[in-house]
Amino acid sequence: MMEEQLAKKLNRQVVGSLVGCVHCGMCDESCHYVLAFPDDHKMTPSYKADQVRKLFKANHDWTGSVFPWWVGADQVPLSDDDLETLKDIAFGTCTNCRRCTLSCPMGVDTATLNRVMRGLLTHVGVMPEGVRVVSKDQWELGNQMGVLKEDYIDTIEWMSEELEEDLGHNDAAIPLEKKGSKVMYCINPREVKYDPRTIKEAALIFHTAGEDWTMPEEGWDNTNFGLFSGDDGLGGACAKREYEKARELGVDKIVISECGHGFRSTRFEGVNWAGETEPVPMESSVMTMLNYIKDGKIKVDKTKNPEKMTFHDSCNNARSGGFFEEPRELLRLVSMDFQEMYPNRAENYCCTGGGGAMSMSEYTPKRLQSAKVKADQIRATGAKTVVTSCHNCVDGLNDLIKHYDLGCEVKQLVNLVANALVLDDDKKPAEVAEPGEIAVTKVAVEEPLAGRKILVVDDEEDVRTFLTTVFEDAGAEVVTASDGDEAVAMASEHQPDLISLDLSMPGKDGVETFVELRRTAETEEIPVCVVTGHPEFRQVIYDRPVTPPEGYLGKPVDEDKLVAYAHHIIEHREEKAN
Amino acid sequence: MHEVSPALHTAEVVHWIALVVMAIVYTMRIRWLLSFNLAKDKSAPGNPGQSDKQRGARWSFFNVAMPWSMESTRKPKGFIFYMSFVIFHMGVVAGIALAFVSTIAPDFLRIPVVGYTTLVFLVAAFLVSVYRVFRRALRPLMRLISTPDDYFSLLMLTAWFGLGACTQAYLMGIWGMTSETLLVAYLYLTSFFLLYVPFSKISHYLYYPFTRTYIGRALGQRGSYPVVRG
Repeated sequence: MMEEQLAKKLNRQVVGSLVGCVHCGMCDESCHYVLAFPDDHKMTPSYKADQVRKLFKANHDWTGSVFPWWVGADQVPLSDDDLETLKDIAFGTCTNCRRCTLSCPMGVDTATLNRVMRGLLTHVGVMPEGVRVVSKDQWELGNQMGVLKEDYIDTIEWMSEELEEDLGHNDAAIPLEKKGSKVMYCINPREVKYDPRTIKEAALIFHTAGEDWTMPEEGWDNTNFGLFSGDDGLGGACAKREYEKARELGVDKIVISECGHGFRSTRFEGVNWAGETEPVPMESSVMTMLNYIKDGKIKVDKTKNPEKMTFHDSCNNARSGGFFEEPRELLRLVSMDFQEMYPNRAENYCCTGGGGAMSMSEYTPKRLQSAKVKADQIRATGAKTVVTSCHNCVDGLNDLIKHYDLGCEVKQLVNLVANALVLDDDKKPAEVAEPGEIAVTKVAVEEPLAGRKILVVDDEEDVRTFLTTVFEDAGAEVVTASDGDEAVAMASEHQPDLISLDLSMPGKDGVETFVELRRTAETEEIPVCVVTGHPEFRQVIYDRPVTPPEGYLGKPVDEDKLVAYAHHIIEHREEKAN
Repeated sequence: MHEVSPALHTAEVVHWIALVVMAIVYTMRIRWLLSFNLAKDKSAPGNPGQSDKQRGARWSFFNVAMPWSMESTRKPKGFIFYMSFVIFHMGVVAGIALAFVSTIAPDFLRIPVVGYTTLVFLVAAFLVSVYRVFRRALRPLMRLISTPDDYFSLLMLTAWFGLGACTQAYLMGIWGMTSETLLVAYLYLTSFFLLYVPFSKISHYLYYPFTRTYIGRALGQRGSYPVVRG
């Protein structure tokens, strides 16, 4: 089965890369895994590429067909153990960042070969659970985080209402499914599920620029797990949804929010996977924002972002998209102190969250270890803010910043542009006099959680106290539990409106607790907001043994964000129930 | 034509036959590669200001002569390996030239500047080859990624460089090399080399223009080739 699939994946470029390697070892030190594991030579890119090369040689190479041992060919079928080993190599020791490709004297595209290997494994059903679940959701629901249409629309409406409240008028509503618009804005489901403020910020920028734009009700997910799993069929299907929706709405162009792999797979690879002959014009939202400033459609005040910042290039943007100068140009326009990190642009190191790595929690410890070179890069800049144009990179960088205790925060350009916006008088909020403060203007709601009961579950007393104080200050009644068993019992007894759940606890850990809560009839409907400091627990988002949590916040927790999330989750649950 | 002994004449004939066989096999190899579909990137150029697939392909093709173009050859350790690569491949050119010129115009190789230049390249390549044998055999990483073909090809080239240097010395009448057997042996080894190469990793140079051009066009179209450093 794998041989047949391999034959389908062979084109001249792939075959060239398969036969071109001379095993010179020059790619070795280009890989962040090699740098982190210098004694584990199986991390070297050529070794990883040899895994698919072996199959190719056995089935397609003259010498390999006759004398397989002579050229390292390997016959299939492979045993289950072999397949598991291949899975760990292809998914667990490579983020397909393509850095080794640029270091190969022969021009061998090792990252593409690794993707071919992933595709073969996916074809026979061998892949990390997170990749399997996410791919299934992209096939069936049209987005990688299993966001239901009503949840998506609800979030857009939520952000729309907040923006209108911020601005004090009703002109800034986020348009949905508006035919004949000039721009269709596609986003990463992570924005809907766990970072909706970026949607609001983008909406504010579109509104301020006077853009004729819309968000689609379907075909809105710009991400594409086909890129990660090596499944061109899924890749084509995901991309086609966006292209067809754009044609249906009659828009002039698709604007892709800041997502590195989303940009690459929608803007470039998807066109080829979907067999598009006349692709819809597409651009990154970074380009859109930059042009708004250059064209005078929006004004920015860079003093609003005075802190020292550095920029991390997403591999998919920079190496595979040639997109590295424009983000810098935009960053310089909206910030005061930009410090380059080295190496950069196409030679930048991966954030280690690429290639779908964020969805493969089983490889998280290794991934974080491989992030040392990135951590060193960031530390050397002395910057306390790392800016990037990719949602995967945001998560990857946040993880490594915590792991290596860098004390930095991660921002995207949309955050900075929104913060630096200078609003014209007619666009200013009614009660805010100073320009540029719109992005941080808050609606004064004294006790948004009044009348709500919240169960706080955390084994650390100081964290329980902190969360309890935050929720009580927001008007909620709080009950607490310090371990998993107690949490399940308390949830059944008190029937809270929300559970704030830590995932790292002794005994029954948070994941087990979460699964039990979801599988217990009395508690299955209670919304859960995960609050964790451990990145490997993203498995509850990606592996999804049960319905994913309604919220997911990393520690340290931002108080306002926590209350806003809790408020939204409870309101949304009630709306659905009604 | 120069006067040759029957043994040398036979070696020369075998050598030319081997060359013809190699050319045929190489032609088949290229036809085989071209039998696979060329995947065309239908997406619009990545960045109008930077995207140029022809420029990307040119830059990629010639980066063999630009050690500063890749991190792997730019760093001190990589640059040393790059220099060994240059010497090694100059030796290959010298060895091939020796094989062909010795059969049609051996006196040309006796011109001191030509002869000594050839000799220097062959000796230097031999030394680099010996280093590479040890590198491949002793470094755990290299052992892990090496196949029997990798070792055999390298050992064969090492022997070829060594024998080539002795043959050149014989042609120049130096180092006490007086036996025509050296040249005969060199031609037979070259013949074997020509026959073996299309089936081994050594045929990488046949694919080099393709792989480099393909990746250059792909990344040139996207705008990331030539690599820009900031």
